[in-house]
Amino acid sequence: MSDVIQFIDVSFRFPDEEKVILDHLSFSVKAGEKVVITGPSGSGKTTLLYLCNRLYPENCDGVMNGSLKLFDKESSKYAPGEVNHKIATVFQDPDAQFCMMTVEEELAFTLENLNIPREEMDGKIAAVLELTGLTDFRNAVIQQLSGGEKQRIATACALIMEPEVLLLDEPISHLDPYTGKKFISWLDELQQERALTVVAIEHRLDLWDGFFDREIVLESTNRVNELMTRESSIQGSQSLYVEAVHNDSFLKPVSFHLQKGEVAVLAGPNGSGKSTLLKALCQLIPAKGTVTPDRLGYVPQSPEFLFITKSVRDEIAFGGGTEVETLLERLYLQNVAEAHPFAVSHGQKRRVAIGAMLADGREIILMDEPTSGQDAASLSELYELIDERARQGTTFLIVTHDMEFASAIADSVLLMDEGQLTGKFNAESVWASEDLLTAHHLLKPKGGTPREVCFA
Amino acid sequence: MKSALHNMNPSVKFLIITICMFTLAFFFNPWTPLIVWIGVLLVQLLFSRINWKVWTLFMIPFVIMAFGYFWTTLVFAEEKTGPVVWTILNMEIREVLLNHALALSFRVLAFSGLSLLFALTTKPVSFILSLMQQMKLSPKIAYSILVGYQFLPVLKDEFVQIQQAHRLRGATQKGNIITRLLNMRKILLPMLAGAVRKSERAAFAMEARGFTGEKRTSFYHIIGIGKLDVYMAALFLMLLIVSCASSSFI
Repeated sequence: MSDVIQFIDVSFRFPDEEKVILDHLSFSVKAGEKVVITGPSGSGKTTLLYLCNRLYPENCDGVMNGSLKLFDKESSKYAPGEVNHKIATVFQDPDAQFCMMTVEEELAFTLENLNIPREEMDGKIAAVLELTGLTDFRNAVIQQLSGGEKQRIATACALIMEPEVLLLDEPISHLDPYTGKKFISWLDELQQERALTVVAIEHRLDLWDGFFDREIVLESTNRVNELMTRESSIQGSQSLYVEAVHNDSFLKPVSFHLQKGEVAVLAGPNGSGKSTLLKALCQLIPAKGTVTPDRLGYVPQSPEFLFITKSVRDEIAFGGGTEVETLLERLYLQNVAEAHPFAVSHGQKRRVAIGAMLADGREIILMDEPTSGQDAASLSELYELIDERARQGTTFLIVTHDMEFASAIADSVLLMDEGQLTGKFNAESVWASEDLLTAHHLLKPKGGTPREVCFA
Repeated sequence: MKSALHNMNPSVKFLIITICMFTLAFFFNPWTPLIVWIGVLLVQLLFSRINWKVWTLFMIPFVIMAFGYFWTTLVFAEEKTGPVVWTILNMEIREVLLNHALALSFRVLAFSGLSLLFALTTKPVSFILSLMQQMKLSPKIAYSILVGYQFLPVLKDEFVQIQQAHRLRGATQKGNIITRLLNMRKILLPMLAGAVRKSERAAFAMEARGFTGEKRTSFYHIIGIGKLDVYMAALFLMLLIVSCASSSFI
């Protein structure tokens, strides 16, 4: 078998940075292989992928040494876009990889780029939709589709070029586990049918179940420990009462209670109304019903949406709270107190957001998808942040698709489907019930280290 | 028949409307622009399915502007000679002036009428595609515009989300219009940061689909030129000739 991608002693750094991202890396991928690249964020996974499809080094003026051969030809010898029909890519973010309005137009855009004669386009579009089982979506408007559907369409757009290599950049990180699993088995069938070479980036391999032949680990230093199931920090007294919260359109009456220091996870299929419920609870969208207390803290998926001042300290002090210094210290933010809130790391942004909520006297924190697109290191940072705050008496309600994370952190699980709360369950009982999990598109977590072992 | 204006080739429509506007600029009398405006209305009534409510809403500011031109020309005029045609509130309106004032305000109406005709009967996407296919617009520019157009709904969602987040923090928009406008930058900053990230990803996605920015040899959606375009262009030219000729007869 011939090598389709061959790295010989490749080093790479960005033009403005001293730090070398890839350091004397050598490996090769043979035709028909399925390879996964893993490593913590900052280890250069995405850079590596972008070198494979020739987006780098050209588009970032990066400095590359060594020899990178694509199909036995030096990558720098290709013209921009030339090799991309043989090496197709599916990106991570389902919202930022389409150029046209409808599925048909998007596929046609790809064919036009390859200068396929117009007479052949219809046939090719029909064929790839047939192959990928997406024929019904031909005239669908892309922006109105769900994340899972968008990822499948992105794959179809990659396949219509009849590539020999398919590159995948964390293709399931925005999907619920059930949809992700379906995507993987669908991909498996496609791969066998087309004898594709697959190279993927993924930091969570638990859903892939032996799909890959080989794993390439980048910068295997200090592997983060697996998350341990945390000890419950419920402190007895009730802190959040929700009675019959609903809105006119989608949300059916929802009632539940949370206790002080309780960490609850809100889960359900894509589009089941989880984010809507969070927004209704903090009165961001009009809703009926009662919520006590009426001031809840809310951290959106992009915490920077909350920021309105020019420094981290002002941000926390904005609501007029008096404990600013204590909070800065407790959230490990003293070092960046004077920095602009947009200029700190993602983990720190989240700390700032939580700090701002606590300073406002909002002792119950609702978090929307804090786990999506996070690697193991930042997940464990998030885990520690939540654990620590919960021990101090903060109550958390967290929307997440990451069941490994949920099983490690949650005291209780609220399940939602089609705008209706199925109920609040003890975490353990949800993981034990196949029926509940299947009905809500969830997968049983493999489970972290059990509690007993933590204390051993 | 009712869809003739909508089905016209956008580039042809654009060209013909530009010609109309350019020609109008050389005629300074009340009749030419008035006839063009009425003609444009008739053409829209006969050959389009536009929403007249929307049309009226867009037209309101132009009507106010036209009246403004009319009134200021009359009131602040220097002209004190010529026959008086009308007396109102002790003001003597002279013929030359009245003609000037009417010419100015009808011109505003004719220009806005033509622009609205184009805007309300043309789909932005087909306009860009047509510019690329007929007017040799570079695919690089054309597809940048098309991709930007796809992002509009996403940006709108983001705007609402940031507004909600700010409301939660008690940073509600108080005060007059100016302070509100100044506060807008707090919403725009995160959006801008997000837009830079998004645009980079979109550019990568385009290149990964094999987009090189070079002239392409085939298009899936062909925006062609047909008989309809010839007929409609002739109709517009006739309207233009009649309106221009009217200036010498009336």
